Amino acid sequence: MQTAQLKAVPRTETGTRVSRNLRAAGQLPAIIYGHGQTPEAVTVGTRALLAVLGHGARMVEIELNSKKMPYLIKEVQYDHLDHLPIHLDLTRVDLDERVTVLVSIELKGTAKGVNDGGVLEQIMNEIELDCLVTEIPDTLQPFVTDLGLGDALLVKDLGLPDGVTTSVGMDDKVAMVREAEEEEETEADADGEEAAEMPEIVGRVRSEEPEEDKK
Amino acid sequence: MAMMPKRVKWRKSHRGKIRGQATSGNSPAYGEYGLQSLHPGWITARQIEAGRIAATHFLRREGKIYVRIFPHKPVSSKPLETRMGKGKGDPEFWVACVREGTIMFEIAGVKEELAREALARVAHKMPYRCRFVKRRLGL
Repeated sequence: MQTAQLKAVPRTETGTRVSRNLRAAGQLPAIIYGHGQTPEAVTVGTRALLAVLGHGARMVEIELNSKKMPYLIKEVQYDHLDHLPIHLDLTRVDLDERVTVLVSIELKGTAKGVNDGGVLEQIMNEIELDCLVTEIPDTLQPFVTDLGLGDALLVKDLGLPDGVTTSVGMDDKVAMVREAEEEEETEADADGEEAAEMPEIVGRVRSEEPEEDKK
Repeated sequence: MAMMPKRVKWRKSHRGKIRGQATSGNSPAYGEYGLQSLHPGWITARQIEAGRIAATHFLRREGKIYVRIFPHKPVSSKPLETRMGKGKGDPEFWVACVREGTIMFEIAGVKEELAREALARVAHKMPYRCRFVKRRLGL
């Protein structure tokens, strides 16, 4: 768990046009809320934020109005290509507070079953954890090397750190090694049948279906 | 066989407008890697099938391929040497409407280099520019 540093500037103007201009100037609109106080609109540097996110940090220490306070990154909104951030949500937190966060699961190693012709399928990509704000894990990295064909990695096998709990069922599957499915290859007959066949029309009896052109 | 709906409410549909950016379905959901469209438009059922086969052949039995788009839209055309009028033509093929940012294919359970190569082969079958994307870990 890392705490990164960021600088923020209070923002008085809001709205689409203002936000777009900010983004074009390398700044990112953000909002700070929580603890029953009034929300504050702020601006942070996009490059600085990308560096923070690149290191997997969840907690940031933000200098705002020459005062440093810890904040939790609640959500990052991305553009339509899911590439660049367009907005940031920050919440006020106390360092002894418990929070619920989504943490991603990154499987490590090659499963035994994969060498026997299976396919490792990750069913759960992220998990909801309840922990102290200072103890949020960056990612969970369970090893899957012991998984044979048909074996599954369960939530209880994730080895959650001490003091970290989850609301997800302990017997829920995180990943599983399945047998590889045979993909049908019907390249040839695709051309012939495609034009001829038409889907069934809802509410119409088959016999009266070809209501061909009333030429 | 190329994909098309099993049942439809209407045989023919309007062309509609091809525009906009993807607000959902724009990040990998099932696999670790995906192929994202960088242009809005129609992808025909045959192009989807060609892409799927290209990836399947390359990966052999490794990994799993997910096709995230489905050709719901019938496109009609008139026969050759037909005079104008006399109503709309018959449905000829089916298309999926994609927007800028739509994830079209995903691959799970293989190494990145293999997924990159497989999706490059799929991209060659697509009518628009595409890019390779990875699932984001964390925020």
